[in-house]
Amino acid sequence: MNLIDVADKTVQFAQNSGATQAEVYAVRVKTVSVYIDDGIPKIGGSMIESGIGLKYINGTKIGFTSSTLAQEKPADVVERAKALAHASNEDPMFVSLPDPKKVSGSPDKFHDNETAAIDSEFLMEKAMDVVNAASSDIVTIPNGSLRTSSIQYHICNSLGVDVGSKGTVAFGFFTAKSEKNGNVGEGVQRCWSREIGSIDFKKIGEKLNSQAMSVLNAKPFKEKWEDVVAILTPSEGSEMMYQLVASAVSGENVNKRRSPWSDKMGEKVASDSLTIYDNGLSEKGLLGSIVDDEGVPTQKTTILEKGVLQSYLYDSYNAHQVELQSTGNGIRRVPRELAGRFAIAAVCAGTTMEIAPSSKSVDDLISEIKRGVYIEHFAYPLVDSMTGTFSDEVRNARIIENGELGDQIKYALWVGNLFDSIKGDLQLANNLEVHDKKIVPSIAFPGTELVGQ
Amino acid sequence: MLDIMAKVIHNISEKDVAFADIRQETHASTRIMVVNGTLRQFSRATKAGAVSRALVGECWGMASTSESLTAEICKNLLDDAVKSAKANAKFSRKNLDFSGIKPIEKTVWQKSKVDPADVSTEEKLEFVMSIDKAQKTDDRIVNTNSVYNDTKRVYRFVNTAGSRLEWDELRTLAVVQPVARQGERMHFDYDVKGGRAGYELIQQIDPNSFGADCSKEALELLESEKPPSGKMSVVVDGGISGLIAHEVCGHASEADEVVKGRSFLTGQVGNKLGSDLVTMVDDGTLKNVSGSFPFDSEGTPASRTVIIEDGVFKGYLHTLETAILMGVPPTGNGRAQDYNRRIFARMTNTFFDKGDWKDDEIIADTKEGLYVVKAMSGMEDVVGGGVQCSALKGYIIKNGEATQLVRSMSLAGKVLDILPTVDAVGNNLDFWGGTCGKGEEDFIPVSTGGPHMRAEMVVGGG
Repeated sequence: MNLIDVADKTVQFAQNSGATQAEVYAVRVKTVSVYIDDGIPKIGGSMIESGIGLKYINGTKIGFTSSTLAQEKPADVVERAKALAHASNEDPMFVSLPDPKKVSGSPDKFHDNETAAIDSEFLMEKAMDVVNAASSDIVTIPNGSLRTSSIQYHICNSLGVDVGSKGTVAFGFFTAKSEKNGNVGEGVQRCWSREIGSIDFKKIGEKLNSQAMSVLNAKPFKEKWEDVVAILTPSEGSEMMYQLVASAVSGENVNKRRSPWSDKMGEKVASDSLTIYDNGLSEKGLLGSIVDDEGVPTQKTTILEKGVLQSYLYDSYNAHQVELQSTGNGIRRVPRELAGRFAIAAVCAGTTMEIAPSSKSVDDLISEIKRGVYIEHFAYPLVDSMTGTFSDEVRNARIIENGELGDQIKYALWVGNLFDSIKGDLQLANNLEVHDKKIVPSIAFPGTELVGQ
Repeated sequence: MLDIMAKVIHNISEKDVAFADIRQETHASTRIMVVNGTLRQFSRATKAGAVSRALVGECWGMASTSESLTAEICKNLLDDAVKSAKANAKFSRKNLDFSGIKPIEKTVWQKSKVDPADVSTEEKLEFVMSIDKAQKTDDRIVNTNSVYNDTKRVYRFVNTAGSRLEWDELRTLAVVQPVARQGERMHFDYDVKGGRAGYELIQQIDPNSFGADCSKEALELLESEKPPSGKMSVVVDGGISGLIAHEVCGHASEADEVVKGRSFLTGQVGNKLGSDLVTMVDDGTLKNVSGSFPFDSEGTPASRTVIIEDGVFKGYLHTLETAILMGVPPTGNGRAQDYNRRIFARMTNTFFDKGDWKDDEIIADTKEGLYVVKAMSGMEDVVGGGVQCSALKGYIIKNGEATQLVRSMSLAGKVLDILPTVDAVGNNLDFWGGTCGKGEEDFIPVSTGGPHMRAEMVVGGG
């Protein structure tokens, strides 16, 4: 189907059937994938999915529906959305869909033709580059996946928004298992990029191997350390910081009064060293696009500057409630799985979280720490975004003593409060990495605990 | 449509593939979300698509589309799957023999007392508004969140063994999540009721107590303290024992992790891993529970698999492929998130079975320890057998009584160290429905469950 035609036609149907406002998000996603299993490419796959999401508005009554249009026509979708809006309650918070705005840049700006064009055989070769570089007598690659997606989406609404964007994502996830003398260890590596040509697969394999090997030497941590500085690699720190910050600056959470930063605009909420942006125009960001998923132009928004809260993030629904403009944060897409997102109405969410690096290397950070821990891998990095509390199981780490890396450890809990920690003597390195929706360096978090098992 | 699929699969040459299947799915869901007394979302999402798989040697190809499934598109899908399988097969080290798979021809439509499709949208909306209103018990409840969800998935399936299946899966769910705030302190609590059932599940909920009781617990959390850290006697509720069963023993029992030797449970059949009180089951046939279904994504009927019995490890959860590789019958655990995602070994309803203790007897019998309740999330460690399960709250146990409320903690340890220390298992068995990812993606409906249990574990809280 032609996305633009379907979007335009469906909005017209909705208007003709009595909608006071209507919005259609039409999208096509093409994904090619390969799954590694026990060291070989076990499954090769290709997927194409198209769909639309329709917001039908009658006054302040809103109905949302979606369809792949495989078994019904746009007119059927409009009738269903109309029925939902009819049965719905008034939403006193709803003001309007977004008005059209001037959009800069080509829709292709964030689309990489090479990534969009590759097939599963090409991916298979790249995945095997990882496997071959990682494998040894004592290291195997039991699991892996590598996929590329290209997305084209178009938003059309009854106020005149008629705009779209395109993008590409390459994502890989690999695990390695090491085994020697009855000991086992695991390495985990992910790779993210808009351009598959920028990924060094051999290097990922080598890192996977060294990570799995180093865990073999790890000893269970059996002590309890308080007031510890923990350096988190970008993969782990980015996830925790995003969970914390994106939730705290979400206009939806602020309006609902469920954000701990609801009343703190202009106040210092973190260390001087912390400057954070939400950048919808990020060159390396996987959600880089000229418009968000409501058709609002994307922008670079300063969230924190030297620890001072500068801005919340808004989609149009939440911005209108407080008489502000959307910051281009009405989002449906998630980088890891672009398929199926037409079935979800846009929500207030981050685009690409960029944390400003320092000029220090990771080694510089380590050299300044008297007692701490350098954490490469958690079971999964989690933080309670409301309270800031966390207690995460360390799977791969080294202790830091007197400015130097010490023993490899595993099976410890890293415990603390992230809201409190980022107010302390937070230190950042200069090694920016892309992970999902974040571009973040290694970060040293003060004032935490390490609890052994 | 089934005729089209059957004709295409029938025409595939046996020379080309060792096995192939085609699955068509339609998904429809209704979601109502109310926030702070206002309707925030009222949606009806639908999607449909089809996927074909083909096996060459030991390698698979798969192709999916959301286009309307004509004979031509169906054939193209299968051709694409065969092409991918052949490309991968140059790395194949063996041929898998699927010739022993028995064909099944069956149609299974789920019977519910009250089909959500027959319930007016006004009634559903009134229900969600009522559970939202019930949460607003105190000025310190600053945010109320309420959700109703029903989903219906219809599947059509054929394979080269001659199977021809149609079935559906209907699930309903209600969630409340109040947020309490006093000064700088803020805490939420939640409650969920859901299952593979119709709207009768919703009609059994008392909206007032469902919302108000949860708000009471969120308010109590404002007075909670930081939990103790270190190794201690821990009594967990059924939600958390279920989470441990699922994350640690469950994922490691998925046979795709076993045939390649990644799981720490590889080669453990017949070995004593836990105390005599530990019995663990995966059962996709349980009535009204979220993880149940008539057939898995490979067309294998759901079944009950005893994983651990009286502390002894008994067996794994299988796809067609892993069952063939290990020479055992398939268990109906080959599941895919949807037509866009792969099939691999997955859990259904996974739980520790109940014992003889009353819940309060376990607390009374514990001199010092921690009573941990309300599961939040967990993460598998298939290689190392480590536990990471996070919980919303708990109570410090002193001299057999649950005393000070504490907040937000994780439980850790090695499961092979924890299971032998299980010395009390409760006699109530509850289930909680949710979704499960594997390797951080591929989310499917499951449930976890269990009784109260007592064991030695490491606790850490922020």
